[in-house]
Parts: sequence; C-alpha cells; structure tokens
Amino acid sequence: MAKGYAGRFLRVDLTDGRCSDFTVEETLLRKFIGGSALGAWLYLKGFPLEADPFAPESPLMIMTGPMVGSGFPGTSRFAVCARSPLTGIWGESACGGTFGPELKKAGYDGIVITGRSEAPVVLSILDGRASLINAADLWGTDTYETTDRLKERDRAVKVLAIGQAGENLVRFAAIGNDKGHFVGRTGLGAVMGAKRLKAISVRGDGKADKADEVRFREIQKEAFLELKESALAGSLHAMGSDANMDIGMINGDVPVRNWSVGEDFELSTALSGPTLSETYLTHAHACTHCPIACKRVVRVPDGPFRTEEGPGPEYETCATFGTMIMNRDLAGVIKANELCNRYGMDTISCGAAIAWAMEMTEKGLLTREAAGGLDLDWGNMETVLTLLNRIALREGFGDQLAEGSLRAAERIGREAVDAVVHVKGLELPMHDPRGFHGMGLAYMMSNRGACHLQHAVLATEQGMASWPQLFPMKDDYRGTTSEGKAELVFHSENYGILGNSLSLCHYLTDCLKPETIRDAFNAITGFDFTFADLMTCGARDWTLKRGVNNILGVRAGDDALPKRILTPLAEGAGAGSVPDVERLKHEYYALRGLDERGFPRAEKLGELGLDELRARLYP
Amino acid sequence: MAGNPAMTQEWLDAWKRKISESKEYKEIAKNWEGSVSIIVNADPAKGIPETIYLFTDYWHGDVLDFLICDKAKAESARFVMSGDYVRWKQVARKEVDATKALMQGKIKLKGDLTYVVRNIKTVNKVIDLLCEIETLWPDEA
Repeated sequence: MAKGYAGRFLRVDLTDGRCSDFTVEETLLRKFIGGSALGAWLYLKGFPLEADPFAPESPLMIMTGPMVGSGFPGTSRFAVCARSPLTGIWGESACGGTFGPELKKAGYDGIVITGRSEAPVVLSILDGRASLINAADLWGTDTYETTDRLKERDRAVKVLAIGQAGENLVRFAAIGNDKGHFVGRTGLGAVMGAKRLKAISVRGDGKADKADEVRFREIQKEAFLELKESALAGSLHAMGSDANMDIGMINGDVPVRNWSVGEDFELSTALSGPTLSETYLTHAHACTHCPIACKRVVRVPDGPFRTEEGPGPEYETCATFGTMIMNRDLAGVIKANELCNRYGMDTISCGAAIAWAMEMTEKGLLTREAAGGLDLDWGNMETVLTLLNRIALREGFGDQLAEGSLRAAERIGREAVDAVVHVKGLELPMHDPRGFHGMGLAYMMSNRGACHLQHAVLATEQGMASWPQLFPMKDDYRGTTSEGKAELVFHSENYGILGNSLSLCHYLTDCLKPETIRDAFNAITGFDFTFADLMTCGARDWTLKRGVNNILGVRAGDDALPKRILTPLAEGAGAGSVPDVERLKHEYYALRGLDERGFPRAEKLGELGLDELRARLYP
Repeated sequence: MAGNPAMTQEWLDAWKRKISESKEYKEIAKNWEGSVSIIVNADPAKGIPETIYLFTDYWHGDVLDFLICDKAKAESARFVMSGDYVRWKQVARKEVDATKALMQGKIKLKGDLTYVVRNIKTVNKVIDLLCEIETLWPDEA
C-alpha cells in the first residue's frame, strides 16, 4: 500500500443507513493520486452519470489526497465532488480549513455518499467508526449554529455543514467547514441538502505513515524557508487574497458594474486589502499546517452592517459584493459575506446573480414588482441583504435567483441572457479575460465551468509565478494578447490541476518551487514521480473530467465565452481588447488532443491510460 | 550612442529630472512618504564588478535625494529592493513588470508591502519614467 494514504474510503448509503469501507488499488492511486481526480474516476466507474444531481443514486464525494495531514504547508485541503445542480456537468469545489486532515486522522481518504435519508441526519465519524445521527433539531439552522451545536456535543470534532440554502436546494449552495472555510462553487451544498445530510462531524487520532519521514522533514523545512522569502506569501499574509484589488484594477483584472465598466479606482481603493487591514481586520487566520494565514478575521463594531467577529471576505467576495454591484462600503461586503456564510451560499455566483439583477432593473427588464418590491439600484446594500435572505429561503424573487443567473435570465428573455456572464452555467470568477486572454481560454476549458482554480493560469499569466523548469515560459506575458496563451494555459492546467488531486492549496503551489512539492510528495508516498509524471497526471485528470462532461452532454460549442466578455471595454488596461476565441480554441484543441466535437481523441485516451473512458466515449 | 551609463549618478540625475518634470507623478504620488534604495548585485561578467547601492527619496510628490551610496545608507531606506543586474535591466527596459519580478522572487523587497500595494500607481509611475531614460548598459558597451 502506498504511504501517505489512510488506506480506506467510507461508503455511506443514506437510504438504508448502511456505512461500509472500501479500498482503492495502488495502481489507481498512482494514476489519479487523490482528490477530485480520484473522485471523477470513482464517479465514472461506479455511478449512473446521467442521474439528476438531486437523485438519491447520484453520489456526493468528499476526497483528500496523500499529502493531506502530513504537516507540509498548504495540505489542509479536501475536495467535494458531484454532478453540479447549477451546471448539470461535473462539479467540484476544494476547501482548506480543518476537515481534510481530521478525516485522514479518523482513518479515511474519502467518503462516497449516495441515497437520501428519510429524516435529516448528521454523519458522525469517530476514529474509523461511522454512524448516522438524527438531525431534525438542526434542520433549519445556519452553518454557524449547526457547527456550534455539534461542537457543544464534542468539542474536538471538525464539522462540515450546510445552512438553509443547502436545505432549500439553492443551486449555488455552499458547505461550511468550522465556520471559516467554504466549499463554494457549483452548488454542492444543495446536493448535500437533497440527501438530507445536514452535516458531517469527524474526529480522529490516527496518522498516515510517510515513506521517508527524515527526508520529508528536510523538505518541509525547505518549504517553510521558501515561504518566508516569498513576496506572494508575504502579500497574502499581510492583505489576504484581497491584495489583488488594487493591482488588479490597474491591470484590468477586476470586473466593475456587471462586467460593463473597465476601471473604477475609487471603488478599488475603498474595497482593497490594505483598506480591509486598516479598518475591520482583527487578525489573520490560517488553515491547518499553513504558515501564510491568508484568511481575514473581521469585525464591524457598529452601523447598519454591524457584524460580530468572524470570517472576512476574500477578494472574490469584495468584487462580487463590491465592484460588481457598485457598492463601496466594505462593511456592507462584510455583512453580505457573513450572511452567505451562515446560509451557506457561494459568494461568487450569488453576488454575480445580484449584479445581473441590478443591471436588469436599470434596463427596465426587471420591474420592482417582479423583484418582490425591492429597489435593486446599483450599490443598494440594504436591499442586497434582504435579497440574500430571500434567496436562501427561496422567497419571492429570491426563489428565481436561487436557480442561478442563467435560469433566472431565461425566464426574461434573450437580452437578459446576454447579460449573464457565465461559462457552461457557472458565473465567472472575478478576473476579466479582456485584461488577460489566457484566463478567458481557461474559463472556456475548465471542467466545472468558468473557474480560476482548476489551473494555475492566474499565477502564470499575471506573473505571480514562473516555472520554466516545468514548461517553456516567457519572462513576462502581456495580458491583452492571445498569442502564446493556448500553450501557457495547457501547461498551467496540467500543473495547476494537480493542486486538486494532491489536495494542496493553490497559493502554496504558486509560492513554492515545483521541486519542493514534487520531493515532498515522493517522500510522503514513496513514489518516484518526475515532473513529467506529475504533468501527465494533471493531463489525465483534465481529460478524465472532460470525458465525463462529454458523457453529460458537453460539446465543442459549449467551450465559449459569454457575449459580455466579447464586448470590448471603453476604459482600463483591457480597453478595446477581447480574447481571440477561435485562435485560442483551435490551438488549445490541438494541444489537448480534442476532436471537432470537443471529445478527447481515442489515441489520447489510450496514451493517458484512460481505456475505460475510451470504451464509454467510443463504444 | 547617446545615453546615461546605467546605475551611475548621471543616470540617477536623469531619472530624478524625469520624475520631477512629471505633473502626473506629482498628482499620483501626493501620499507617498519615504525612501527607496535599489541594490544591484555584483555581476562582473556583465560589467558590474561590485554591488551598487542607489538611494532615492520621495515626499508627497516631491523628489528628494537620488544618490549613489554605501551599503549602510541603502539599508536605512524605508524600502530596500535588491536583485541581479539582469533583472534590473529587464525592469528598466520594460521587459519584465516590476511587480511580477517581485512576486516571482527575482527582485526582493524589504519594507511594508501593504504600503507598496496601497501606492502601487506611484510605484508603477516611477518605473515607467525610469524606462523613458536613454540608458547605456555596461554589458552592451
């Protein structure tokens, strides 16, 4: 058995309440490593892919990797995977915090959950023993209260919980880990809600063996030294991810007014990382085993957006509830973030849906009556907070937005749909492809819809990281050109996607030398992977998920950017520039081995050892 | 070929003149307070036999001292930036963005990073003006 793994997975059928263990062969671990890559493989092999995401037979998978819990920086991660209720295709979302390492300590590499419980339940995992506990008393409570109440029963447990949004099947519902970390994207909290699984609590005292503990300690020390020297790590520690707000506004990265304005420096100054640090920050917080501590803990002492001390907004949230909706009050962003956390909602999809609704109101396509009497004027945060309640509880117009921007727009018509900024149904993260064409291609080709975390393009194209030892790289990439970007995206995907199978934080991937990550991985597992081996694993992961999506109906025509992103901006660093979609796609398809339908070619599948997928795609 | 020999007092004077003459800089930098030193690591093969220390000082849009200095003076600056000659040359020729070089560890910074991010427009403007100077590079002489 490979080292670094707990060596077993938990299978839970919520319909009959049965919990059992299963194992995965080492040959598969060598191919897929862990995390969402292994999740995609288990999904392909063991489940009816076309089943509705809310159907009992559709699985919800919570996966770790061999580095999780090792003590190596950034290895607190875990991935949650399922067919997304928002997009209808492969859904996954990774999260830091405390749950991943604790699950390993409890003796499991992952959990696969099927079925639907009659009554709400909590899955309790204590040192390798799993049981289901009635949770009727917790149903209807938010993620914070659920977590607190489970910890009142056992202070040491780590908790994954949904709030009311997950219970009400809001299609972008999130899952909270210990009130500070969130599985945000693709609506996996709603899958948990459909199964009537309110929470998972886990506690363990075990430890996965490492193949070479002495060598691992040396590399771990080296990693900590690298992080101490890293300006990116220093920036994240000092300002959190919102350090991007000031620089991003200059570089054309930050969307403004539902992606229709190119720059607004008053907004970015009001919402920036330095401003957050100088106003509402109480302290920085870290995931398990992380010396960076990029998480913000904030408090708004008074005023209309008074908020008790708790997890603060990241850059994405400062943009969705700030620049996107023309709100310059950081306290309002903090309050919206807290509400989303408590209800369990993805702040990107939720904020983007509200920005779209504000634009529809301005254009007269959404009347005040249709919006349930709400004044959806730009920047009106009091209305936003009311709307957040209605979305989570599916009341009135909130019920329409709870379906996601695209479904809500389809009720109105073509012009409304054109204003939804999404790829494959997933709202874009807060990085504008008109300023960075490579990011546009990455959005088009990401397997969960528009995503900034299924690859390392944000780091490579914007110059936060440079890895010439992995693939040919220029010293500097100009954002507003499509030239050379297909190759950059292809390689940056193959490396960046490994973060999700290794279960390693993307920030750490960006800050550390690839040699350090590779050597730590080998010291933990006892494998002898080269860079080429790792990059092949990345390519295999991408191609596997692409094949799953092909089975779920994704075709070449779905690899597209929304109309808004193909409309040039009048101002800012991205002014007048749009990605050359045809060129990017043509070059990328050749590199990735995709045919004109958008399917991986049979020989590519053979080359990557994906014979079972080949049999499904080419029966 | 006309130009100012890189990393000399003449070069610093030309840079100072450029900044002083920029109305845009004066407006952008009205909140900036403090000195920035630039340390160019020795690279004999490129015509830099010894480490060079440059000291530049700014205050609310005004430009103060721009000096070749010693190590102690350089290290007394509010912000200390250090890197190899080839990196500084790339930055001064606009071949590499200074912020990217910093994030990738090609140039090191000692000082309050939050202040730099808060004033990133000022930093970018100073570097843009540096890029406008006609420069003679020792490895190209």
